[in-house]
Order: sequence, then C-alpha cells, then structure tokens
Amino acid sequence: MNEHYRPEPGTPMEDLETPCLVIDMDDLDHNMDVIADTYEGKSTKLRGHSKNHKTPAIAHRQIRRGGTVGGVCAAKVSEAEVMVHGGISSVFITSEIVEPMKIERLAALADQAEMLVACDQSSNARDLSKAAQARGVEISVVIELETGLARCGVRDTDSGVALAKEISALPGLRFRGVMSHQTIPDMPDREDRAVEAARTIKGVIDLKNAIEGEGILIDIVSTGETWSYDVAADIPGVTEIQGGSYLMMETHYSYMTEFHYAGKILATIISTPRPGVAIGDAGVRAVSSLSGMPTVFERPGVTVAALDSDHAVFKLESGASLKVGDQVLLIPAQQDAMVSRWDRFIGLRKGKVEVVWDITARGCHN
Amino acid sequence: MERPIFHPVGTPVEQLDTPALVIDLDVMDQNIRTFQGYFSATSVKARPVVTSHLCPQIARRQLDAGGTVGGIAVTTLGEAEVFANSGFTDILLANQVVTVSKIRRLCALAGQTSIGIAVDNPDNAKQLSEGAVAAGAELRVLVEIEAGMGRCGVTPGADAVALAQVVDGLPGLRFTGIMGSVPGPKGDDDPSAHEAKSRANLQVILDNKAAMEQAGLSVSVVSVGGTHCYAQAIQMPGVTEVRAGRYPLMDHRLKPFLPALAPAARILASVISHPIDGMAVLDAGHKATAPDQGRPVLEGIDGGIATRFSAEHGIVELEGDAQSKLNPGDKAWLVPYELGATVNQYDYFRAYKNGKLEGFWPISARGRLA
Repeated sequence: MNEHYRPEPGTPMEDLETPCLVIDMDDLDHNMDVIADTYEGKSTKLRGHSKNHKTPAIAHRQIRRGGTVGGVCAAKVSEAEVMVHGGISSVFITSEIVEPMKIERLAALADQAEMLVACDQSSNARDLSKAAQARGVEISVVIELETGLARCGVRDTDSGVALAKEISALPGLRFRGVMSHQTIPDMPDREDRAVEAARTIKGVIDLKNAIEGEGILIDIVSTGETWSYDVAADIPGVTEIQGGSYLMMETHYSYMTEFHYAGKILATIISTPRPGVAIGDAGVRAVSSLSGMPTVFERPGVTVAALDSDHAVFKLESGASLKVGDQVLLIPAQQDAMVSRWDRFIGLRKGKVEVVWDITARGCHN
Repeated sequence: MERPIFHPVGTPVEQLDTPALVIDLDVMDQNIRTFQGYFSATSVKARPVVTSHLCPQIARRQLDAGGTVGGIAVTTLGEAEVFANSGFTDILLANQVVTVSKIRRLCALAGQTSIGIAVDNPDNAKQLSEGAVAAGAELRVLVEIEAGMGRCGVTPGADAVALAQVVDGLPGLRFTGIMGSVPGPKGDDDPSAHEAKSRANLQVILDNKAAMEQAGLSVSVVSVGGTHCYAQAIQMPGVTEVRAGRYPLMDHRLKPFLPALAPAARILASVISHPIDGMAVLDAGHKATAPDQGRPVLEGIDGGIATRFSAEHGIVELEGDAQSKLNPGDKAWLVPYELGATVNQYDYFRAYKNGKLEGFWPISARGRLA
C-alpha cells in the first residue's frame, strides 16, 4: 500500500507521480447533482453502492448533495464495516452472507448502524436470526429475486412468498422487502430502457404484491442499477435504486451522456520506440482491461492497442503525437475494476489537487 | 486495505475467512528449488522478478536458495523503494524512468543501494546522468532492446549500439550491458513452437552484444526475461541472467510451459448460494481474482467449471455428480490464470504448510505502481 504518496492541495496535475487514480471534482459533483435532481420530490431514491467507490467520504458527499435514502449499499461485510466506521448510519449488504464468522460480524455491525442484508435461502435466514438474537440486535432482511443475472436469488414468486413468511416469523429479523439486479446490453434510447426495466423489474413488483397479499408489510423494493436509475424510478412500487457506476463513469455507459467521465487513470509516456507507437506507464494493474481496453481521454487519434501488466501500448494515427514525459488520461471500460486497484483518489479541480481521499474499503473482499 | 480475520497460526487452511489468497509453502519452496536448480551448473543465473509476488519474504527465500545473481528485478520505482527498504542490495528496475521527480527518487535510492535501470533513448540517458551526478550516485544502465514485445526498447542494431555509446560516455552512468524481454506464451500456443519463437527473439537481443563489443564497448550483462524462456536462454552463450518472476507461485497460464512446477498460490472462496442444481455462486468475483487476462480455474471438482466473474461473485457451472457439491458454506479453490494481476488485489498471502496456517505475509509492494 502506497502510504507515503499524498500530494499537497494545489499541486498541478503535471506534477503528479504516475500512474495514479484521479477524479475530476467538477465532474464528480455534476454526476452527484444529476442524481439529486432526478430524485427530487420522488418517492424513489438512490441507495448508492459503495462497492463502486469504497470511500466513506464519497458516500457522505452524495448523501449531502441529495437524492438518496441516506444510506448506502455494500457488497461485502468488510466493506460494510468500513462504511459504518466511516459514519454511514444505514448499510444494505446486497449479497448473501452465509459463513458463521461473517454473520457474527454483520450482527456486531447491527449494534452500530441499521444493517440490511440480502437473503435467498431459509437456512441462511435461520442462521441470521440466531446471531441477531444472541446479540440482542435486529437485522433487516431483504429477499433477493433472480431477474436475469442467473446468479443468487429465489427463482420464483412462490418461493419468495414462502421465504418472506419464514423471515417474518423469525426473531431478531425484520423483514423489509425485496430486491433484484438486472443488466442489459447497450441501450442508448431511454424509451427502450424504460421498456426493458419494466419487463425485468416486473418480477420483483409481482413478488412484492404477492407478499403483501399475505398480509406481510414491505417498505423496501430495491432494484435497478445505473442504466435504469431514471426509468426504474417511474415504476410504481420501486423505493430504492442501487447505483454506483454513474459516479466515476465508464465507457460501457457512454450513451448516458448526462454523466461525465470523472474517474480516470493519469499515465505518463515513458517511451516512443517507433513511429506511431508510444508506451505509457499504466497497465492492467492500474486500469484493468476487464470489459475492454481503456479509452484515451481527449486525445484524438490515440488509442490503446494493448495493455500489459504495467504498460499501455498506444497507437497514434497520423497527425497525433505523443512524446516521452507527456501525460495521458485513460477512462475505463469498467470503473469498479479500476477503483479496486487503488489506495486513494486524487481529487482535481481545474487541474489542481483539491483533496486526497483514502479508498479505505479497497481490498475488502471478505 | 484488506480487512482479513487474522486467524491464529495453526488454523486449518479451509477454515480461513474468504476470499483469501493462499500459498502452500512446501509447493512454493519446491518450485524455487526446481527452477533455480536449472541454473546451478551454468554460468547463467536467475534474477527473480519480484513484481510477480511483491513480497520481500518470498524474495528472500529465492535469493537464499542459490542459482541467482544475488539480486532482484522490479517493474516500478515504488517497488524498488519497498525492496530497498527491506534490505535488498542489488535491484534492477527493468523499466524506463523518465519524469524529473521520479529520476530524483531513483537517484536517491541509488545512494542507498545498487540500482540498475533500463534505458531506450539517449535523451532519457542524459537526464538520468544529470540526476545521478546531482545526487552523487551511480546508476548501472542496461540498454533495453526491443525483441518482439512491441513495447519499450531501442531498435536492435545500429540504434542500440549508438545508444550504448551515449550511455558509456555519460558521467554518473555505468554502462553494464543489455536487456530484453521476449513475449510469453498466449492462450493455446504450442510449447515447441513457442520455444522456437523464443530462441529467435533471444538471438535478436544477443546480436546486439556482439555489435556493441565490435564497437569497443564492454558488455558484461545480457539480461533476458521471463520465466517461460529460461530453458532456451540457458543454452545460448552470452546470456548472463534470466529475469523470471512467476515460477515460485506459478499460475494457470504458465502451467503447460513449466510442467515440473505446480501452482502454489490459489484463491480460497466460499459458496454463498446454490440456487439451481447446475450452478453454485462463490464469494470471489473479479475484484478478488482479477480475471482480466483469463479466468481462474476451479480445482478439485470434477464436472465443475468457473465460467463467469462479476464484480463480487464467481459463477461455477456444475454437471453430473458435481451438482450435489458446492453447497452454501462449502469452500472452493481457484487457481489464478495470471498471477500478477491477482496478487495486486490483496494485501496478504495466507501462507500455510501441511494444511495449517503459518502466517499472514504482507504483500508489501502492492499498489506501488508509481
């Protein structure tokens, strides 16, 4: 972990040691304000996913700027710990927590903050109940429904209703509602996305109605991702949207032009060995190539031809030029993979360091 | 940082909190003995590339096992600083360092320990010279030759000789020789075809030694990489050292090319859901495995294949008898496809012997990319 590198506020971007993870504060604030404006006056709000930024300071910033339920999502127990220790008062762990050690940690957190957790199996619900009872705490439980990811989640309405009945009757647990995740191929047209969201989210609304039909109260219907942040809010019954990619942005969502590319890797050209080729000091370990090559920001004619562990090979079309020592900004195809490789964000405004944020939940896999 | 549970030494490895990056020390030590043994009866020696594991404790074991030049290689300046602070006295930074502030750091480091650096253009050589003179330090310089990587490196031949002459004439720099990397195997490359390709690429590097010596320069080091081409490199007169990194821990990608070595680093994961007969979901996704260059491989479950890694979840598809295995709470073992990317996602190796935890070994240079 690079503990010593913490540039002073006011340091110009040109003087930063590279590679490093930078975040444009104007763009970040803009993206946060899009969320605040979208949900203003609506009953649906964002519960921002902290797995995308892993940084309590960023979670607090979105909560302050508005449009949220006042809490966050987390993917892992350790990530939730970082958020609770960072002062977040409500954390929804959107994965199933099944191992005894992790259930204990979750129950301990429930003494410090409101803790919600996804569940898709009754044995797990009973384990959660036992741990909550033993500690005298309450754990909120949300049933996950599978809606297209082919991953976790109950598979149909009947099993969801049966599980809801069981959870409602278990001591130490508070049954809160239902959740689902969906992913879609590129869908630039908002109307297309609205149709797709209505189709994939229908299952979770059906489950909510069926559970309520049994006389069980529901106060959370959590669904959606960045791609459906706007259209899912128009679906009656949806109370929370899980979204995180909108903050840094990624080329995967390039069609969502209302969001700006805020998070980038700053790299330096270290070699120009042949005409038409330049080598940068950021590779897979810095930026990730998970969903495709990163894109060079605002340098027409320059593309990433290959990404090795620690080098980017840039291809220059005629007219484009890069010399040794030049800096290049890379935007990722998948931002959470990029963020997961760094210990801190260097926040820049108008090209100068404004803030340095430790990514305190980096490496929180467990 | 990772927030692991620091289990007591002696804890059975399968009881560790997951996901965890785990190394079997016996397998690792055997890999080190086997690989470095290849260099025991030859003048060519290994230079361990510690970028693959970023862990001083492992590097120390490598140097202690013999068959090496007594020094290590790193890829970034940050890594060089960590290993210098851990007592390593011969560090080759096998990469270009070009910015003013980094050259200053590099030369400061050269005041503490012996530093080698790769150079591929004369302007950079001049900057390094100025930095070294200002710091009162000396840098060992290797001219990097492009030999098939399509990356850094001067064009072989006249350009390389001219660059070597520039370096040789500059104060603060000691021209010691040449280095080059040859491309590793990709995907389904056939091992014997890959060997032939490596030999040709290594010859490209070696030809420069002869040309430089003809021009009156003394070339004492010919450093080539990496692990995959060691056997060809050893047979080629003139090569003095092989930079190799992945052999102690191995990975799935390199397995067919080094059949005498076994994977020592694996990811221990837990099943969090088994929602349908044909599928189990693991708690290790792409953040815990870094499958950018290839998916990790599920070990030990016949009929089980790891097929998808989203951010936080790994999906295992199950066929036949395997459908009754991998139930919630069960453990699963994954062999990384590409070691370096996986190591980069963790702060600790969980080191074990005979199935019992020996300790948490810090991956001290993790994240030191700058």
